[in-house]
Amino acid sequence: MTISTAISRRRLLSTAASAGLVTAVGTPLYLRPGRARAADGLAEGMVGGPTGFDGAERYQYGPDTPEARAIEAIKELKGAGKAPERIVLGLSDGSIGQLTQPFPEGAPSIKELWEAETGITLDIVGVPNGQEFTKVMQDVSTKGGAFDIYAVEWNRLGDLAETGGIVNLDEYVAAHKPEWDDPERGYVGGEQGVSLLNNYRGSTYGVSLDGDFQIWNHRTDLFNDPTEQKAFADKYGYELAPPTTFKQHDEIAAFFHRPDQGLFGSTDLRNQGWGYTNWYQRFVSMASPNQFLFDDEGKPLINSEAGINATQEYIDSLAHHSPDAISWGWPEQYGNFASGGAAMTCAFSNLPKFLDNPVNEGSKVTGKVGSHLPPGREIDGKLIRRTVLWLNLSASVSSQSAYPEASYLLLQWLGSSRIYSWMTANPGGYFDPFQLSNFADPLVRQTYHDYHMDVVRESVARTVPTINYPGATAFHNALDENLVAALTGSKSAADAMADTERQWARVARRVGEDKLVEAIKANKAAWPTITDPIG
Amino acid sequence: MNRSLSFEIFRYAAILAIVALSLVPTLWMASMAFKPIAEWSATGADLTWWPKSPTLDNFRFLFGESSSDLIVALDRTATQPILASLLAAIFGTLIAMIAGTSAAYGLSRFGSGGNLPLALIQLRIFPPMAVMIPVMIMWAFLGLIDTWYGLALVYGIVTMPFAFWLMKTFFDDMPREIEDAALVEGCSRLRVFWKITLPMMRPALASSALFVFILNWSDYLIGLLLTTRDWVTIPVYMASLSSSMTGQLYGAKAALGLIAAIPPVVLGIAIQKHLVRGLTFGALKQ
Amino acid sequence: MTMAALDANTPVMEHEDTRDSRRLGLWLTFPAQILVLFIAVFPILMQVYISLTDWSPLDGIGWWQAHELWNSFANYSDLMADDRFWSALWRTVLVMAICVPCEFLLGLGLAILFVDDFPGRRFLYSVLLIPMMVVPAVAGYMFFMLFQSGGPVNDILSFFYGAPVTIAWLSDPDLAFFAVIVSDIWQWTPLMFLILLAGMVGVPEDQLRAATLLGASWATRFRTIVLPRMKTIIIIALAIRVIENFKVFDNFYIMTGGGPGVATETISIYIYKVTQQELIWGYVAAVALVILIALSVVSALAIKRMSREVSQ
Repeated sequence: MTISTAISRRRLLSTAASAGLVTAVGTPLYLRPGRARAADGLAEGMVGGPTGFDGAERYQYGPDTPEARAIEAIKELKGAGKAPERIVLGLSDGSIGQLTQPFPEGAPSIKELWEAETGITLDIVGVPNGQEFTKVMQDVSTKGGAFDIYAVEWNRLGDLAETGGIVNLDEYVAAHKPEWDDPERGYVGGEQGVSLLNNYRGSTYGVSLDGDFQIWNHRTDLFNDPTEQKAFADKYGYELAPPTTFKQHDEIAAFFHRPDQGLFGSTDLRNQGWGYTNWYQRFVSMASPNQFLFDDEGKPLINSEAGINATQEYIDSLAHHSPDAISWGWPEQYGNFASGGAAMTCAFSNLPKFLDNPVNEGSKVTGKVGSHLPPGREIDGKLIRRTVLWLNLSASVSSQSAYPEASYLLLQWLGSSRIYSWMTANPGGYFDPFQLSNFADPLVRQTYHDYHMDVVRESVARTVPTINYPGATAFHNALDENLVAALTGSKSAADAMADTERQWARVARRVGEDKLVEAIKANKAAWPTITDPIG
Repeated sequence: MNRSLSFEIFRYAAILAIVALSLVPTLWMASMAFKPIAEWSATGADLTWWPKSPTLDNFRFLFGESSSDLIVALDRTATQPILASLLAAIFGTLIAMIAGTSAAYGLSRFGSGGNLPLALIQLRIFPPMAVMIPVMIMWAFLGLIDTWYGLALVYGIVTMPFAFWLMKTFFDDMPREIEDAALVEGCSRLRVFWKITLPMMRPALASSALFVFILNWSDYLIGLLLTTRDWVTIPVYMASLSSSMTGQLYGAKAALGLIAAIPPVVLGIAIQKHLVRGLTFGALKQ
Repeated sequence: MTMAALDANTPVMEHEDTRDSRRLGLWLTFPAQILVLFIAVFPILMQVYISLTDWSPLDGIGWWQAHELWNSFANYSDLMADDRFWSALWRTVLVMAICVPCEFLLGLGLAILFVDDFPGRRFLYSVLLIPMMVVPAVAGYMFFMLFQSGGPVNDILSFFYGAPVTIAWLSDPDLAFFAVIVSDIWQWTPLMFLILLAGMVGVPEDQLRAATLLGASWATRFRTIVLPRMKTIIIIALAIRVIENFKVFDNFYIMTGGGPGVATETISIYIYKVTQQELIWGYVAAVALVILIALSVVSALAIKRMSREVSQ
């Protein structure tokens, strides 16, 4: 950063601010709280961010930060008449609270802060969970133009980019420098992490707003109960502790499985649409350092001993699940865990934030939740533990937006390390930590609990990305269908894998082999290589 | 018809058994609506049939109050979806009844629109899902996506066959002498229709309208595809009643389900005396 | 004669003011005609067009440019080989073949029990109609809970069985199929009952009385007087349920999402999933057209047949 640009930026800031003042006359509502806050709250040297609570300075930003650049650029756009009055953001219903509910006490909400700093109304449109992609495709294909920003599952980025429905953000990234790969505050894995979460075929199409790493939880009250410990040791010949291998996991689950007392061994999901994430964990840990889904030529590797064994295990594990496992989605899973109905489960990283939460009076497991690394397998003297990144909302700018740059700037602001840490700490929604700054943040750690945050961080390092190449939806559907068929007993594990392979080959042909091979390679580059010592 | 005592016993036993069975889901809904969250559990071991500590929290929650139990607050209350459902269903019913009734009369009296009986049956028989792609595109083009009138228009069209067929059977069956007498006295055709025919058709109109209204009010699929935010209907809105704190908000869902049953029930009671006569499809008075 | 009008060529009474009448008739049918055209013309033309292409919203081009992805009749030949489609179609017919007769028989039985007055009749009659007033989507959520393994249905079964019953209804393909059928029968039997009762009440009392005096048994009276009189209304009631049942979606989709696997996937759910998840819209258009043509043929034949039956 040279001095001259710094000065010009500052000068720009002041002109933009006065321009903002003029425009804001029409909207005094936003002006008043904004000015009041700016006047008394910001810490020394800060130019923006939340105020009004202890530790607010951690989320405030000085000049020349991604947040400040975003706000400045918005004001610049406003000055040039290129900024909208409002930006429409389509978002999962359950996540809206993180933007609209003030947190912690005394703070503004994210929405209020954004509106105060920019004068642009943030219009958040709720989309029912699980229908994000459907709604986006409706908007893209009918040219409905109902949103400026879509938030969809990260896996669909490739599919969505291919539709031309979302904007290539490279130009804006280059201009406004989001610093996503900042080694101290940025994405885990630096540039590679950014490329995994935000890029498709080398260009930026999305801004990650989530960290849906699948994390394992257990009940500390059960695991630490001396009677249980003794009974377990007597039965299996080793100490009761969070499992390190799937074999242990299955034994512990079987041990705790007491359906007559309303306790199930493990409730990692088995239903259509979600269950296959748990198959993934069992499959990818079948080889060291990873069992891949495709080889480098794009040939599926699932119809193999590894695939069939993983599937068989996945089916057999139903024995220590709820009998309703095949019809349970996460709402049932969370509800059951909250009522103390399971010894272990695998869920989004936000489970402790919601269920181990004194405010949640409906939860019977407050203070009784523990987290552990994913179970794995012992291969060549090492322990391979893997989990998956799956769902993970990421936001993209709609091609139909009249103000793509302003929309991008909102995302840069929202998805940057300071604002995002503040947002993810808010228990009002689903957005989970994924940046280094989030994991270290005291407020985030308070919401998500220390015991959990460290496990999440370590699990992230062992996380395999799910399919995110074009055709992701079709690939996953084929796998999903066949796994459910295997679970219900209408297909054998071997048939399920053979049929999946056949369907995958068809999808691959439709997508185009070369496009696919390229995307597979990019995806594989993000797979972890870390292994653990045994014992 | 006089029947024996044993028949009477059988009748009561059979009816009560069926009534009891048919009430289970409804009672479950009603009881769920008044249960606090601790008693919702349909997945755990402790099943509660009747609310042990009944509460109105679920209803309050729907309209934006967060209660002690449900620490999440709704970003959208149920008010707008209820309004959306009401507007779309009422206007959809009006469209269906007006277009359907007049067409039925036109065909029945003047033989116009001979293609309509078959065309309308086909329209009704065809799964809406199968034409939804073009309809979505068309609606987006016309700016009708996520508007109550756009939804009402589809509702009106897809339920018009019912209005048409029901009304047609009645018109076919109505003695023409009455109309003819009025015509001879110099009334215009339209006046006869308005002043004589329609009033006679009140039971038929009432029961057709109830029918059509229930169909519109019940719709889930069309609302799911043609609304996005402002005019989401009750069944579509229902899906957003879940939270990560508690899983599915069954209590709130049941409470909303109970509220959603009010309009059909009220309408049903209002036209009760016409209901039986109105549903004979004119088919008996031969 | 009511159903004679099913025949499009019903002779119409002639009036002297024929021309005016005809004009009025056209005006009266005009709104309906316009609405039918509005909903039929564009969608059908568009479906025909894109059904001949590989178009998917994922391709990034508008539907009007779909000709760039022309594939002639590949979608139609794919359709012939699509097991999932045929099994969904078959399942839909099976649902209909189970639900409609059950609803009919239950409805008829109830109507017989309700046809003459008894203390409490009005009240019980109203109570029986309640399921009809519950929005099917809501019913879907309620039945989802009812059929959980620790849910009310098993609780009731446990009571009668004397030991805990923990059947996982919705996780087993056959039981899930049974469960969704139960929900459909629950919801729609009241409608059958209502229509059939309306028909039964309309049977002239004097005929019945005469037959009674002649010594005809109740069963004979029912068979020889009531049933023939109700023929039309029975056909209408069955037709309504067949038509509506074919499209069943709401409660099935909410209870099971068509699963487990495809165990409860009806044709509407199949199309919904292919449309929303696989996004192969050219193919969906072909599916829609095949169904449209098949239904048109079936309904035209059925109407012809029905009007003949009824006018006899």
